This record gives sequence, C-alpha cells and structure tokens, in this order.
Amino acid sequence: MFRWGAKHPKPLSLITNFRFCIIESSHTLITMNIGTATSEENPTHSYLGSRGIWITYVLILLITHFMLLTIPFFSVAVAWTLTNVVHCVITYFMLHVTKGTPWGTPEQGKARTQTQWEQIDFGQQFTPTKKFLTVVPVAIFFLASFYTKYDTTHFCINLIALGFSVIPKLPQLHGVRIFNINKW
Amino acid sequence: MARDGFEVAVNGINNNYKHSNGKSNGISAYSNGHKVNGAQSKVQSTKSTPTFKEHFEQTPLGVAIWTYLGYAILVVIGQIRDFLRSIGIEKIKSCTEPKLPGFVPLFQSWESFYTRNLYRRVRDCWNRPIGSVAWAEMDILERVSYDHGWNFELTGKKQRVLNLGSYNYLGFSQNEGPCADAVEDIVNKYGVGTCASRQEMGYLDLHRNLDILVAEYLGVEDAITVPMGFATNSMNMPLLVGKGCLILSDELNHASLILGSRLSGASIRTFKHNDMEDLEEKLRFAVAEGMPRTHRPWKKILIVVEGIYSMEGSIVRLPDIIQLKKKYKAYIYLDEAHSIGALGPHGKGVVDYFGLNPKDIDVMMGTFTKSFGAVGGYLGGSKNLVNHLRVSSHSAIYSGSMPPCVIQQVISSMKIMLGKDGTNEGKQRIDTLAWNTTYFRQRLVEMGFIVYGNEHSPVVPILLFMPGKISCLSRECLKRGLGIVVVGFPATPIIESRARFCLSAAHTKEMLDKALDILDEVGDLLKLKYSRLKRQPALAESDNKELKNGTRNSSVSTFADLCTLSMKIIKTL
Repeated sequence: MFRWGAKHPKPLSLITNFRFCIIESSHTLITMNIGTATSEENPTHSYLGSRGIWITYVLILLITHFMLLTIPFFSVAVAWTLTNVVHCVITYFMLHVTKGTPWGTPEQGKARTQTQWEQIDFGQQFTPTKKFLTVVPVAIFFLASFYTKYDTTHFCINLIALGFSVIPKLPQLHGVRIFNINKW
Repeated sequence: MARDGFEVAVNGINNNYKHSNGKSNGISAYSNGHKVNGAQSKVQSTKSTPTFKEHFEQTPLGVAIWTYLGYAILVVIGQIRDFLRSIGIEKIKSCTEPKLPGFVPLFQSWESFYTRNLYRRVRDCWNRPIGSVAWAEMDILERVSYDHGWNFELTGKKQRVLNLGSYNYLGFSQNEGPCADAVEDIVNKYGVGTCASRQEMGYLDLHRNLDILVAEYLGVEDAITVPMGFATNSMNMPLLVGKGCLILSDELNHASLILGSRLSGASIRTFKHNDMEDLEEKLRFAVAEGMPRTHRPWKKILIVVEGIYSMEGSIVRLPDIIQLKKKYKAYIYLDEAHSIGALGPHGKGVVDYFGLNPKDIDVMMGTFTKSFGAVGGYLGGSKNLVNHLRVSSHSAIYSGSMPPCVIQQVISSMKIMLGKDGTNEGKQRIDTLAWNTTYFRQRLVEMGFIVYGNEHSPVVPILLFMPGKISCLSRECLKRGLGIVVVGFPATPIIESRARFCLSAAHTKEMLDKALDILDEVGDLLKLKYSRLKRQPALAESDNKELKNGTRNSSVSTFADLCTLSMKIIKTL
C-alpha cells in the first residue's frame, strides 16, 4: 500500500520523484462533516465493535478460504497455509501499518500517528474487539496446523504468520515502532 | 432480531413495556451502540404527562452484514484505483502537493482516501445549489458531471422540487408576507448592519425589544440574543462553567455543545442517549465521589441536553431530568435549537410540550434558524444569569451584534406565534405542523420503513443502511421531484446511514402525499422497507382528534390516555 506520510527529509531520488501526495481541495473535506451529526469524532474507535461486523469478518475469511480451495493446483494443506498467510498479510497492513484515518477528523490529527490497532477503543487494552481480533489468527493457526498434518515447512510458515498477527497486538507493543519504521 | 418499541408512561406510575424479547422492566439494552429506549428513573410525578413513544429499531443482522460487505468492496476498489493512480495508469484529477526536497509533506494521501474514492463519486447528492427561497418547494439548479464527480457544470435548467430537507418547521422562510414586509421597512429605517459590537455602539432599541420578546415567549425572566447560533453555545458555555465543574452531556449532543464544553475547561462525562438510569448513576457517582483525586465536591454540575436531537428525531425526557436535577442539586442547560417553535401546543418548545415550568430550567438556549426563519440564538434564564452574560459574553463584547433586519424577522415571527398580530396564524401553523408530523410518521411506518425517533418530533429519519442506497435514494427522489437530505458514514455510525426529513407547517397534505408516493415507489425499487415491527392498526376515530393536536394538554387525549392507562393497570393485576 502506498502511504506518503511525513518522512525524514531524504535527498532527491528516483523513487521520491514518483511519489507525490494526493490531496483533496479543502472545501470537499469540510463538507464531509464528520462528527457534526453525532459526537463520535473518529468512528475508527468503535466501528469494529458494531453489530454484525465479527460475523462479516469470519464470513469474508470463509469466502476467501473457499475460493482458495477451489483452485485445482492447491492441495488442502497449501490452501490452508495460504489462507493463513493471506489473512495475516492483509490484517497486518490494515491494522498495524495503516496509520491515521481515511477521512479528515475534527479532532485535529490526534490519531494521525496511531495505527488502527492503537486507535481501537481509544487505546484501551483487552476490550472484546481486541480479544476477538487476537483469537481469530490463533484459531486459523490451529486449523491450518491440523489440515497440513503438522508438516514442518507448513508449520514454520504458519508460525511466522501467526507471529506477525499476534505479536503486534500485545499491549507491551502499544505505540512501539521498531527501528523507527512507520513512525510518522 | 427486531425489537418492538415500547410505550413508557413518563410519570413512572405505569412501567408498562411491551418487549418482544420478554424483558419486563425495560432495562435499557444496547442496539447499534446507543440505547434502544433507556429506562427512566422511578420517580413519581403528580402531573398527568402523556405516553412517550420512541422507537429505535435495531438493524437487522443480515442488512448489517451486507452493509459491511458493501463498504469492504468500496474500500478494496478504492485501494486498487489509488494504486493505479500512483503508477500512472489512471490520471490524478485532484490537487497534488508538490514534493519539495528537504521538506516534510503537509498532507497524507490516506487522509483523503474516503473523500477521493467514496464521497467524490456520490457528491452530487449534497451541496445542491438552489435558485429560489427554500420554502415547501424550491428550485434546484441542475448540475451534471462528466467525470464522475470531480467537476460539476450547471446546465442552466432549474427543477422545481418538493423540499423535505430544509429546517423550516413553522414555514417562516417565505419571502412574502407580513414578516418580509416588516423587514423591508426596517432595512430602510435602520440599514443593513450595526457595524459594532453590542457593548459599543451596536446595541439598538431593537435588540432590547427582541430580548424582552424572547423572554416573554419562553416564560423566563430575561434573555440575551447572539448573532450566530453555533456561537451561542461555544462562546457562552465557558461563562457558565469552568475548571472544577462537571458537565454531564448526552452522548449525541451537537458539535457546538461539545466545543463549548471543551472551551470551558470543565470535566466532561457523557451519559447514554436519553437514558435516565445512566444519568442518575453518573450523578450519584459525581455527588458521592467528588473530583477525581482530591474528592472535593464539584463546584457545579451541569446537565447538558437538547430538546430534539436532529439526527435521531428523539425528544429529551425533560420531566425526569428536572426531577433528577432537583434531587441531586444540579443545573440543566437545555439546547432547544430544533424544538423551539416546533413542539408544544403553543409552540414554545419542549418545556411547553411536557407542560412544565420554564423556571425549572436554569439555562434555556435556542436558535432562531430553524423555526423563525432568521439566524442567531438566544439564552434565557434568571435575571442574574442574563446580567452576567450581558457583561461578560464573548459574543456581546467581541462580535458584531445582530443585524436589524434579522431582528425584525424574529420579532415579526414571534409576534405571530404569540398571537400578538391579532390573527390566528400562529396557532394554525403549530397545528398544521403537529398534524403533518403525525400523519407523515404514521404513513412511513405503515409503509414499512424503519423510522427513528419520537412520534411527535418533526424530524423524521428513515434508515437506509447500505452505502449504495444512500446515493441512489437521493438521486431517484430528485428525478421524481423530491429533494431530501441523506447522511452516511462517517457522520453516522457505520450501520445507521439515513435519510432525514424535516417537516414544515408550509407543507400541505397534497405535498406530503406526493412525497410519500415517491418514497413508496423508490422504497420498493430499492427495497428499503426493512421494518419488522408489527404495523400499527389503522387510525381509529379517537385518534383523528389526537392527530390534529399531537400534543399533550388537550382534554380529549388526556381522557383517552386515562382510559388506556386504566386498562393496562387492570391487565397487569
């Protein structure tokens, strides 16, 4: 995904030449009027706890899994490992790499440097949403290990995927940026 | 599962809740993040207040799932298109920030993702330019976009449509009639602006007359008026509370109240929307525990509520709040932006609707924008309070005072409402609005839409849920000649996007029937009729009388209520 957040000033290079920042003319942002209707300033805090979203999450996961199972080249084991890896990659990018919000908020950029995981429930730990989102990768790991018959290669790949899914969700890593990657 | 809305007798004598899931004492339950219908506190009242019916039907689970899938698909496609823009396959049509070497970028592309990919495509549903006065009907200038919402061009044609989007509860937004004539005279006499603040040269005799008239209208000792409605809250709340005070504000309060609360420096705690048990619990906690670390008592506790909540259409449970306030010695700040003029048998707002004493409310605030066809706001209360505000209000010291033409519009419309112009027009407008409200809501519920809010509130939100249906409803209604306001995520919760209708005394029955036919047709086309509540039976004879005066204090409705009340008591025995 392409994020052009504030970076440390770099010398001109070919890559930075191609990357530019797409902004909207300011009047359209203002007319979107987030938070004036209700007092919910940043819906990111709570939308993952709203009615039916957990079911939708599991449903999307199941649909992806069945799509992978239908591909004739993949054996069941490969399909499961692929589901695990794809799930891990997508949720990692959505929850731990993407910072800020996809809309301008009236709260003046408080959440701009926070990943989505850190914004959920205002940063409180061990809320039901966070527990659910931590349990799902673990459940997929167990299922994948079972269906791959505990084969070593598959196990290693699944374990690495699990590591990427669960370790960033630990409360000790709240706000931590290793090697300053993704800091701003 | 759909839940039945339930009847609550506000006076606490009869807690008769009809719940489909069998809960017998209506303990509040969550739906969609806010209360279905918070249970009241068990306080007794000797006044015979009528039944209070509010419905917030829960989102059906299947619909919620489809809504999330819809947003997920839109986000995925948005990401793909952003990717195509970044590698150059698709042209970038918005501004791009020039990349200066050695400078940190000012903007983040991700922040405008939603605007660029979702909002932009359906942008034609909002900010439609109109070419006439925004009355019961209006002219919309036709726009066309050849590049999917990036740029609009006016075609030059105008379309006459029914207006269900403007806040025009009493129909005073006309450009003809006694108000307009009076305003014209005043402009000739006083000019267009005062060009000074109220504490300097901008305090005209008109301002004094307006203050006295507003105080008379509300039934309070004195009032002060402010030239901007939003600023009435944000500039004046800091004068009432400060550090060491506690503000208990409803979950769904307007941004002006939130800004005012923040600027004041007081501690803010929110209670669940219209939930008196939660409010009582928080009050008890605040009185017992005091300030967080020192446990000293709070200097003041201010309960901030609105009369009608414009996004939900719900009415505040004012009798309960007044009893709580008296019990725990708190103060109440009532923002009647939408309810002044629109509720009550005399049009005097939510205090009139419940038949309460205005002296019980410490600070009555409201705006002239919605019902009186003007701009600005007022704050009413005791003489001491208003004297304090006159001296120290930021809006009196630093901003220009209300222009004479606006004052005259308010004075003329208030005089009509009070009956001082000698005609019956004020009463007629109120009755028409009440009848329109009940009729429109009844018909919508019969058709099967999920309608939020109180049965007597002229703000009628119907739920749409899915992102595609938001824009489709708006466009289809416009094609058929109806102009409406739709609101989606992120201004509302993700599974509660809605269309909001604002009824007006200017709407005739034929206009409402036409609007309802259009909504019926489009509702069938888009499958918007989600409601699973049992339909109310057709209007009986006794209900017709109640329709004409959909407020409490008529003798017919009180008698009917007494009958139903006694029947219920007999049934529970």
